[in-house]
Amino acid sequence: MNLTVNIGNGIFHNPVCVASGTFGYGSEYESLIDLNKLGAIFTKAVTLEPRTGNEIPRIIETPSGILNSIGLANVGVKRFVQEKISFLEKLPCATVVNVAGSTENEYIEVIKNLENCKSIWGYEINVSCPNVKHGGLAFGTNPFQIENLTKLLRQATPKPLIIKLTPNVTDITTIAKAAQDGGADAVSCINTLIGMVIDTQKKVTVLPMKTGGLSGPAIRPVGVALTYKVSRAVSIPVIGIGGIMDADDAIQYLLAGASAIQVGTGNFVDPSMAVNVLEGIKKYSERENINSINEFHSFIQ
Amino acid sequence: MQQFSANIFSNSKISNCFYEMVFSWKPNTIPLPGQFVTIRAEPNTSPLLRRPFALSGFYESKKRCSIIYQKRGPVTTLLAGKSPDEQIDIIGPLGNPFPIPGKKNKAILIAGGTGIGPVVFLCSRLKNLNLEYISIFGAKTKSSIPDNQFIKQNFVICTDDGSAGYKGTTTDYLKSISNLMTSDTILFACGPQPMLKSCNDFACSHKLPCYVSVEQIMACGVGACMGCAIKITKEPGFARACKEGPVFKSTEIDWN
Repeated sequence: MNLTVNIGNGIFHNPVCVASGTFGYGSEYESLIDLNKLGAIFTKAVTLEPRTGNEIPRIIETPSGILNSIGLANVGVKRFVQEKISFLEKLPCATVVNVAGSTENEYIEVIKNLENCKSIWGYEINVSCPNVKHGGLAFGTNPFQIENLTKLLRQATPKPLIIKLTPNVTDITTIAKAAQDGGADAVSCINTLIGMVIDTQKKVTVLPMKTGGLSGPAIRPVGVALTYKVSRAVSIPVIGIGGIMDADDAIQYLLAGASAIQVGTGNFVDPSMAVNVLEGIKKYSERENINSINEFHSFIQ
Repeated sequence: MQQFSANIFSNSKISNCFYEMVFSWKPNTIPLPGQFVTIRAEPNTSPLLRRPFALSGFYESKKRCSIIYQKRGPVTTLLAGKSPDEQIDIIGPLGNPFPIPGKKNKAILIAGGTGIGPVVFLCSRLKNLNLEYISIFGAKTKSSIPDNQFIKQNFVICTDDGSAGYKGTTTDYLKSISNLMTSDTILFACGPQPMLKSCNDFACSHKLPCYVSVEQIMACGVGACMGCAIKITKEPGFARACKEGPVFKSTEIDWN
């Protein structure tokens, strides 16, 4: 079985990755799993300046899911380069830095600050965070802004560029096509769905920001359906995300058209989940006589 | 920290609201008072997240650990239904422990409600080290008090309704023994937020150091998700309960 995944001018050694925001900067999980087995680590979002994040509480569990409003809390690109890169560069798996910003210029500046780090494999552009007031979703819901931003970032780096799509739009395929037209090498599908939980006793929203991003197994069928749609609308690889808890969930994404997958909320539930998913994909492929990731795409029309 | 499948040795109801579970401890790291574990009770998708539980004891010779918990949500309901020899998925030890006071210090330990677990652990450690301490446990009423010899022998009991021990809150009791405070006194507390705030107020007014163990909803428990932030007084304004905590110097916390 050939597990490799080609994205732009880069390669993942296998299709199982961990999603941004659920895996810190990698080192947090070092003593719990064999990080060498991952296809790629998608880092916590990095912004130009440090961000402290949103008011508390930031997380609430929902049926088979969680609603979060972290607000891109991160150390900022300078400290990321000084403190976080050295750990990631020792790992054989790809490091994909998730980049977020409030303005086009901020995204460009973050990438400029990272371009000298040879160990960075590529970038995932966060244009779909529902939990910040400026930027984030504002970019992700407008195809013209997506194409424009992708073009600008394309000029800033030759490394693989992945646009992370939001499901909170009328037609996700127009956004995916805009990313492709702007020069993206892949799209991640999907970021969280906007959700709200209300405390009926206190008559207030549980999250101070009122809404949050819904993730976990509750959203998996949405992620699989949108991966199916997007993979038919664009020719660049699609990275499937949303509620993957075991190999069978991941295989659904691969059969739907994904070339790689990310385990997100599942890392919180069981840190060994990504490694178990990889083992399960290998076993399934052997049993079903599937020899490459692309072969998964031939079953469902 | 390590993820392991623990064997349950005992799991019993010890009061009208508390349960105590004793399970096998596999990591080589010895857990300390104030540290916690996260538990996945069942491989279900609902309830989904692991839950944090402060450890209430470590029995080195048998390599066993214990937690004291309250049955109040879906995860603790699952836990309460577990029988000896069943397995639970554990990650630990996590977080920073309480500092251990010196020989000349006098420790005052204050526990409220479920906060009893880590305070029992700390109390047994201080007892083993022959250090001086006063331990206080506050509960709503007599039937909430755990049927536990160690607690009965080592803790001053306070009940809101006066049905057992001192009538009043732990803070009321603390104020009643103000004359025992010296410059070598250190407070350690775990319990509901209003109790912790009162302990901080008391400590500040008597110029005493005070360490509190805080509770916050957690997702990862290992410092990755930034979900369990609590407000602190110094920059950057937030700290992770799981990583910088759960034990903090009380003056570091923004109590507003």
